[in-house]
Amino acid sequence: MSEKGYRGVTVADIVKRAGIARNTFYENFGSKEDCFLAAQQSAMSAALSRVVEAAGEIDDWPHRVQAGLSAFLSYIVEEPALARTCMVDALSAAPTSVRYYEESLQAFVSLFRLGRDVSPHGQELPETLEEALIGGVFWILYQRLLAQEPERVAELLPELVEFALAPYLGAEAARVVAMEGGTAASAPTPHD
Amino acid sequence: MSDPVNPSVDSAEYPPELARLPPGRHGLPREFVARNQRERLIAGLAEAVAENGYAGTTIAHITRHAAVSRRTFYEHFSSKDECFVAAYDTVMAELRQRVDEAFNQEEEWAQAVQAGIAAMLDFLIAEPHLARLSMVEALVAGPVVIERYDAAIQGLVPYFQAGRKGRSAKVLAGLSPSTEEALVGGMVSLISRRIFADRTEELESLLPDLVEFALTPYLGSAEAAKVARSR
Repeated sequence: MSEKGYRGVTVADIVKRAGIARNTFYENFGSKEDCFLAAQQSAMSAALSRVVEAAGEIDDWPHRVQAGLSAFLSYIVEEPALARTCMVDALSAAPTSVRYYEESLQAFVSLFRLGRDVSPHGQELPETLEEALIGGVFWILYQRLLAQEPERVAELLPELVEFALAPYLGAEAARVVAMEGGTAASAPTPHD
Repeated sequence: MSDPVNPSVDSAEYPPELARLPPGRHGLPREFVARNQRERLIAGLAEAVAENGYAGTTIAHITRHAAVSRRTFYEHFSSKDECFVAAYDTVMAELRQRVDEAFNQEEEWAQAVQAGIAAMLDFLIAEPHLARLSMVEALVAGPVVIERYDAAIQGLVPYFQAGRKGRSAKVLAGLSPSTEEALVGGMVSLISRRIFADRTEELESLLPDLVEFALTPYLGSAEAAKVARSR
């Protein structure tokens, strides 16, 4: 996949790389589309479970967002091929993949939405704010993955945190949180 | 005289209810006919894709909608992908022109952004087939189109970067190098998700949210909300 992209890959390529028989492939998956969706789902749930693990127990919302984004970026840096599968190739594979991709972003919508409770103007924020913020964050990550620069993703943490927090906290307060966090690779995680 | 562009040998392929230029009798220069056929093929592709999705569209679908022969298709395009690229470019050029005109008509940057976004939404609402083609099907239409799709989105960045001009040091400190990219990506994702889900009718009510989202980093949320609700 990471060599040819979704369209260029055939079932023959997959069974060759996996070292299995064509029959075995069809015992497990109905089609290339099914197989892709399974790979996408497994990669995305691995990434999201890291987010939950890192962010779930932090009460302070701005730091919770920071820890969640940091964990997600670390996943991309460590697993660039899988990250590409679930964040780049997923968008050009099949409608089922696009749908799953859209649904998986909802986890972030809920996390970001909690910011309305701590924002002085939380009541007045546009209904679609979280969707737009996440769309923006994922667009930046998509660009870096497309440019084959996964290692540069870690550096993006401060600006992405700032971008995500600013509408809730104001630019200055968002910046303070963003600057204290460092990059994804160096950010403290609950395991340290 | 036999017509080199509309060879009569293919006549049997045409469904009788579809009108086409009568071969040899229209008196139009050949280049015009050729261009007209290209336009019809592009329009035919848009209709076929709206009906069947990109993956399900065949060259036969396209030529049937365009009311031209298969041979004519291959005189203009070597493949379905190539025809899609031409259609995509046509749609994006039109969209870009409308956004540009609307943006340039306003004196103030904030109002220009609002006018530009409104022009984009108006076009997508008025042309749901082209909206789907350019925002949803483009992503599954092969690497060439994806590259152009990405470039088209990145091409919106300068409209927002113009908003940095004349801002205070405090405002500029709150903007990072990727702010505009993130804004554009966020806005496109709001729009394309609705088109993907066949909820194009929701685009109209999206205008104030998009405007507020786009202006907040430059004007602050109170002022951005004021502009967003002014229209």
